[in-house]
Amino acid sequence: MEIKILEERIYHWLDERLGLAPLIEWSKHKMVPVHRHSFWYYMGGIALIFIITQIVTGMLLMVYYIPDLKSAHSSILNINSQIDFGWFIRSLHAWGANLLILALFFHFFSTYLMKAYRPPREITWWTGLYLMGLVLAFGFSGYLLPWDQVSFFATKVGMDTALRIPLIGHQISTLLIGGSTLSQETLSRFFTLHVVVFPFLLLPVLGIHLLLIQIHGTSAPPWFKKLPQPQQIYEKFFPNFILKDFMGWMVVLNILAILATIYPTGVGPEAQPFQPAPRGIKPEWYFLAPYQFLKLFPGNIGPFQGEQVAMLIMALVPLSVILIPFWDTGVSVKRSKIATYYGVFLILAFIILTIWGYFS
Amino acid sequence: MNYPVWVVPILGGGWVIGIIAIIHVFISHFAVGGGAFLAVTEQMAYKRQDNRIYDYLKKHSLFFLLITTVLGVVLGPGIWWSISLVSPNTTELVIQQYTLIWAFEYVVFVCELATFFVYYYTWDRISQRLHLRLAWLYLGISLFTLFTINGMLTFMLTPGKWLITHQWWDGYFNPTYWPSNFLRLVIMFGLAGMYALITSSRLKDEDLRTHMLKYSARWLLPVFFLGPIIGYWYFLNVPQAAINTIFTGIHSSGVGNFSILARALYLSVILSGTILIFTFVGPYLNPKGFSLKAAILFLVFGLIVTGVSEWTRELLRKPYVVYGYMYSNSLLKSQVQQVNQTGYLNSAHWALATLGNNPTPLQTGAMVFRFQCMSCHTTKGYRGMDKLIGQRDLNGIKNLLKTLQQTDPSKNPYSGIMPPLVGKPNEIDALAMYLNTLEIPAPPGEGKTQ
Repeated sequence: MEIKILEERIYHWLDERLGLAPLIEWSKHKMVPVHRHSFWYYMGGIALIFIITQIVTGMLLMVYYIPDLKSAHSSILNINSQIDFGWFIRSLHAWGANLLILALFFHFFSTYLMKAYRPPREITWWTGLYLMGLVLAFGFSGYLLPWDQVSFFATKVGMDTALRIPLIGHQISTLLIGGSTLSQETLSRFFTLHVVVFPFLLLPVLGIHLLLIQIHGTSAPPWFKKLPQPQQIYEKFFPNFILKDFMGWMVVLNILAILATIYPTGVGPEAQPFQPAPRGIKPEWYFLAPYQFLKLFPGNIGPFQGEQVAMLIMALVPLSVILIPFWDTGVSVKRSKIATYYGVFLILAFIILTIWGYFS
Repeated sequence: MNYPVWVVPILGGGWVIGIIAIIHVFISHFAVGGGAFLAVTEQMAYKRQDNRIYDYLKKHSLFFLLITTVLGVVLGPGIWWSISLVSPNTTELVIQQYTLIWAFEYVVFVCELATFFVYYYTWDRISQRLHLRLAWLYLGISLFTLFTINGMLTFMLTPGKWLITHQWWDGYFNPTYWPSNFLRLVIMFGLAGMYALITSSRLKDEDLRTHMLKYSARWLLPVFFLGPIIGYWYFLNVPQAAINTIFTGIHSSGVGNFSILARALYLSVILSGTILIFTFVGPYLNPKGFSLKAAILFLVFGLIVTGVSEWTRELLRKPYVVYGYMYSNSLLKSQVQQVNQTGYLNSAHWALATLGNNPTPLQTGAMVFRFQCMSCHTTKGYRGMDKLIGQRDLNGIKNLLKTLQQTDPSKNPYSGIMPPLVGKPNEIDALAMYLNTLEIPAPPGEGKTQ
């Protein structure tokens, strides 16, 4: 009983200063559809908890990481072998990055197939795509920082690929590398991007994305909306859905902890830029699909370079998903079906190319 | 050092024991904690004369019966079967030291089973008052099984004065006997609550469902509030060398065997904390949204916590199986000097008979590996020698084995986690030759070596 009185006092104190009552009242009216695909609604929340994990563990790693060519690798070794809990924090960060991207893929494909891009949620959709691109950029920039053989040469392969982007490839590559080869300038730029620029670009848009979700509510798939009213079941966002979201967070954080402790992240030998690249160097799993796609093209196709043609084709994928809200607005059944088939095709292509890339 | 040496490829014999034991612990703890749950809940139903709770208990007790008697009884002998194959010497030692205790345990266990069958089959056949007494009787007997077997389990980590006196009484009431009893007891209450969440989540009556879910969730409170205090008491009595190994893992590399104990402990703490939050935001705060699927997921996490915690306890014993007395490969600590002089294979029963006359060095090396290393290592797989040997050539392997022969911790960094390697120089050379034949996997980023 005394705890209840204490709870009420704390609530009143906060309410007087923050005006919580209308917010809580509003959130109580927010409803979440309950159907057989409700599971996918948790993916956004899961991605959010991984973003928070990355921020916290990233800040802790920054305390000991030195973005200097002579010290970067040894500082990672120091974190892994000398600093209390260092290897654990680093493993959480490395595994967290992979799980974040995995959760985002699930979030992206599930919202796509549930047609969550349709009006009035176009801006939510675009901000989501922006955040996903940014998270992939986080992954790419963070990968180089340990400055070991694998990260060095994998980044080099990535930058060589970027160089072949038609028209702007050279500019992009020079801007990121800071010269013609990977050096101190590259490390400094990647570090700055990873810990300053990208977070600065991410946080405000993430705020807008979350705000828009609150404004428009959770999107229900088209078939759900067609159900007779009594069969359309909803649950309260607060507290019911948010408490289940919490449980989902606990599950995924446990998976993260299990991976980090059972398969801790190691560090390879220090990068030797003048040595030949080790055999079998491949990008991280989330870049394997484009990597494999590029390999499918011959050196030249008519007057054009094969890789450049491949890149142009690949560029159509982000372009199409950006434009899809204009094309499939929910009015045409035919367009809706085509959009669904296209989504399924993208999922299959991504999975097949990733597996193919892994084993090739 | 006794035959049979049981070869389990990839997984290793230790994991066969581990898997059976972890599931068995998960079930046997329910047998005690669930007994407390049945007694306390039936007392509540009796006091309130609430038939809805009685109906719930009847269904819950069927679930209890199936889990504890059917699965528990199958897995118990499974442990005996696997430990006698992986570590016959340890099994022999524990049986010989505690023959009477085992006999007592067996009698108590039979009584426990009989009482529960009577309890289950007398629902609605005897008075409520008498049935309630049966519930409490079952709890009393099941507590006896815990207190009985716990002495022998804790003896292996903290044999205490037994190392000097060799009196069973000293080994049985060892330094961690009481803290372990209480720690297991609160864990058992927690597991009882987790199992009850499964049966409660299936209730149709919404009011009763909410009530039972919240009630079941409260059974996890003792383990989270008393568990850390009792855990601290337990660790105060664990050998200092084992505690040091934990700290080695905290402030050294997370990759490798030195950190394994710290890693296991991290997981145990993190997963336990998760279950606490899960209980609070799930069945306690949001009973309506707590489905059977969530309850099963919850139980899976409970199983993982139990597994990891038991694994941690096992790891604490390293490099021994009976701390300070018998190493994990069944070599007695007191035998090291002698075996180095007489030869390892001469001391290992059946080894020479298996080898036959004039074995090649490779055959000798394989036999030394099988008898001396295989209780913890596999050639390829869990703690696989192919990975542990890495890029070492024959000389590198010989140097490593030379280090492993040292008993002085300052000369052998592995001494806290591995028994010293023993044997005559020709046996050690043969082992090195054998290990050198194992195919070495490519290191990350180096491409394939072959």
